[in-house]
Amino acid sequence: MAEVRFEQVTKRFGDVTAVNNLSLEIPDKEFLVLVGPSGCGKSTILRLLSGLEEVNEGNIYIGDRLVNNVPPKDRDIAMVFQSYALYPHMSVYNNMAFGLSLRKTPKAEIERRVREAARVLGIEDLLKRKPRQLSGGQRQRVALGRAIVREPAAFLFDEPLSNLDAKLRVQTRAELSKLHQRLGTTFIYVTHDQIEAMTMASRIAVMNDGVLQQVGQPQELYERPDNLFVAGFIGSPAMNLFEVTVRGDQNQTYLDADSFRVAVPSTKVAMLLPYSGKKIIFGLRPEHIHVPEFMPPGTIAAPVQARVDVTELMGHEYYLYLLNGEKHFLARVDARTMPRPGQDIEVVFNIAHMYAFDPVTGKAITTTDG
Amino acid sequence: MIAELAKPQASFQGFVSRLSKFVSRLPLHVVLVGIALLWITPAFGLLTSSFRDAAAVASSGWWTAFQLPFEFTLDNYQAVLTQNRMGVSFLNSLIISIPGTVIPILVAAFAAFAFAWMRFPGRDTLFIFVVALLVVPVQMTLIPVLRLLTNLQIAGSFPAIWLAHTGYGLPFAVFLLRNFFGALPRELLESAYLDGASSVRVFFRLILPLSVPALASLAIFQFLWVWNDLLVALVILQDPGKAPMTVTITNLVSSFGAQWQLLTSAAFISMMLPLVIFFALQRYFVQGILTGAVKG
Amino acid sequence: MNRRGRLIPWLWLLPSFLLIAVFLIYPVIETLRISFMNRDSSVYVGAGNYQYVFTNSATQTALLNNVLWLVFFTVLAVGLGLIFAVLTGRVRYEAVAKAAIFIPMAISFVAAAVIWRFMYAYRPEDFTQIGLVNAAATNLGLEPTAWLVEQPLPYIDQLLPSPLHTNNFALIAVGVWMWTGFAMVILSAGLKGISTEVLEAARVDGASEWQIFWRIILPMLSPTIAVVATTLVIQALKKFDMVWVMTAGNFGTDVVATLMFKEMFNFRDFGRAAALAVILLVAILPVMLITIRRFRSQEETR
Repeated sequence: MAEVRFEQVTKRFGDVTAVNNLSLEIPDKEFLVLVGPSGCGKSTILRLLSGLEEVNEGNIYIGDRLVNNVPPKDRDIAMVFQSYALYPHMSVYNNMAFGLSLRKTPKAEIERRVREAARVLGIEDLLKRKPRQLSGGQRQRVALGRAIVREPAAFLFDEPLSNLDAKLRVQTRAELSKLHQRLGTTFIYVTHDQIEAMTMASRIAVMNDGVLQQVGQPQELYERPDNLFVAGFIGSPAMNLFEVTVRGDQNQTYLDADSFRVAVPSTKVAMLLPYSGKKIIFGLRPEHIHVPEFMPPGTIAAPVQARVDVTELMGHEYYLYLLNGEKHFLARVDARTMPRPGQDIEVVFNIAHMYAFDPVTGKAITTTDG
Repeated sequence: MIAELAKPQASFQGFVSRLSKFVSRLPLHVVLVGIALLWITPAFGLLTSSFRDAAAVASSGWWTAFQLPFEFTLDNYQAVLTQNRMGVSFLNSLIISIPGTVIPILVAAFAAFAFAWMRFPGRDTLFIFVVALLVVPVQMTLIPVLRLLTNLQIAGSFPAIWLAHTGYGLPFAVFLLRNFFGALPRELLESAYLDGASSVRVFFRLILPLSVPALASLAIFQFLWVWNDLLVALVILQDPGKAPMTVTITNLVSSFGAQWQLLTSAAFISMMLPLVIFFALQRYFVQGILTGAVKG
Repeated sequence: MNRRGRLIPWLWLLPSFLLIAVFLIYPVIETLRISFMNRDSSVYVGAGNYQYVFTNSATQTALLNNVLWLVFFTVLAVGLGLIFAVLTGRVRYEAVAKAAIFIPMAISFVAAAVIWRFMYAYRPEDFTQIGLVNAAATNLGLEPTAWLVEQPLPYIDQLLPSPLHTNNFALIAVGVWMWTGFAMVILSAGLKGISTEVLEAARVDGASEWQIFWRIILPMLSPTIAVVATTLVIQALKKFDMVWVMTAGNFGTDVVATLMFKEMFNFRDFGRAAALAVILLVAILPVMLITIRRFRSQEETR
């Protein structure tokens, strides 16, 4: 019974509104990732949920319980901190046992739970050591273990992978996903890294400036971003964005970017007609820009001239930093292309995958029939 | 609609919770303010007494001075400042304290620099040894030092006491400065050496300017220590003409006689300088204690 | 950094070492030597001085008094310092409150002694009190006491010869007044060094504020407490100025340091004075060793 619910929660620090009227439902057993840039409010949300901060307005429910005024220790949640926050003067065993010993759990039970968690995490050999004798990865597991033994209603994670090196991070991501499946408890996970979000989450909630931008499954956020911010945030490398004017009419509509123009595919004409003569933001992901010789079949090609600024060979593909007039954009092209900096080439935009956004509200312009 | 109804209630909720938080913290504030006042009271009492004349001081407590008729007077300060002994004492204190601060800092800085950035056999052991000397009680050294100074025929002179304070102050000063120097970025010094600078150059042009906070807090410590010192002055400077304020005041205390009321103003004046320094440079003072006493 | 020859470091160290040798090292050795000699160090008397010193009642009193100082001064200053550190950390006017408690450290012991002589001033019962402490006492209906003179605490003194005299405690109170600020500042820094995340983790784990204090904060603070306690213990053993100015060691308040001074300048018996100084050093030795050991382990993490 560990559904978590935020109802119109607002949190202010002085003049700054860190969380603005947040309403979010997190069903039991979900792995929800809160993602967004620094200062977007995601950590604050976690702290409100754990009880380390108090809400100014709104209500928070854990299960069916209103927990606004319930102190952290009675909320039945466990938290893994970014810096692990292990008790430096206690052994690993005692670190993990601390929460249970506070609740007067019988020693045998504590022993059982700690050893079981240690086994799952592979830290049985470390039980007698002190935190300062452990590596970063080991400390992180102890922090995890400390949370696991509590058998809480929900686990809260505050950027737990940020302090690990790249390789360990990738490894731990997989382990966390497995852990979630194994424990079957609600995970609420905060990170600024959208790759972590995309790979681990059952649902992602994107935050910016204290406001919830969009919540949904990873694929949904990737393919159908609700607004400019989500479009630019999810997906790496980020979506290319151009300021263009919609011109033309029913029969032929195109987007005028001054230094180039692309024709709008018929499926998208209807939604853009209201903007005829006006400016919109046109978006296209780098993976949908190709060189003509290697463009995949089924591409609806809109050619654009560009000059190659920088090339980065990624092994299986090239990142091309391209320049058209004053516009910079990025394309991911086949590795067989032989691009050279300074070269003038023609690329094709796969216009079937174009996105359009209202320049004022930032909201996605979508066709009414999905 | 419901959301809007909820809003005014939320702000009232906020008000109530803030009020109850304040009230529950009231005992904390009361206790803390009370303690702070308690701590200041003795000094405040002294200040008040120094503005009262001898008869008043001898007959009633200082707190009564705040009732009408107000009986404040500047006589005590006048007497103290014009009395030869006090003026000279103040000067003596300065004569003792200023070199007694500058010289130790310089000498310690040289040594600290060597300990921090030079390599030589036994460096770490020597350093620990120097720091261990911190615990040696001054008393242990007085007899031989006095004898030595007498034999060298400089006992009772100002240079003698400067040297003494330097010697006594070195363990702490070397400890403090070496820790600070050691924390300076190595790349900075290395690039200076690569540019061809000598150790002396690096010391005066790089290390000293960068260490101003540490030097400042050390200066404060050392100055206060020397200014407030009684024992070393008593033992080494035996000439009453050279006595610093601490000694003169002590004599006043034991004399009792007609000088009783002067004691208050004399003591207060001798307190003023350290207090002013303390308040002006509070930050450095506290920082100095922290660097010196609490590691990492 | 090994640039110009091996001699250079020693040149930098020379002035310091010279002064340390003259003022610290040589005297310690010399004092040791003198302690085995007679009053003007002309004749060797073996352990005679030590014998005298240990059997002399004045010395025994002084030694007991030092122990008294050791225990009460240190415990009170550390305890109060800790409490104040915790309290001041919770209010916005922390800096002001701390400054108020810290001020006594800036003034000389002599000035402090003067202040407190006034505080403790005594006038017989029917006269108006001019000392704050007695004024408060009489207001509460108690008899005025000559705090600096009064010796016996009721009952205890009748049972055994103890240093638990009122006047000793009066002096210790002054010491605490001066040094609590020091303890508070350092303990406060230590408190702030405890990362808030660890405390938050404890809160989420289910600890109440009280449990957090005892099981997390105090253990994490113990190195800092050790530093403070060590410094204060050394202070307690070396205490001279305060006692000298307030009572000149009379009325049974002598400590080893004041006794030594008397032997030096009043009785002119350098041998005995030296013996007292050596005793002081021996008492401090354990502290010195602890400091060295702790320092060593800290150095290792550098």
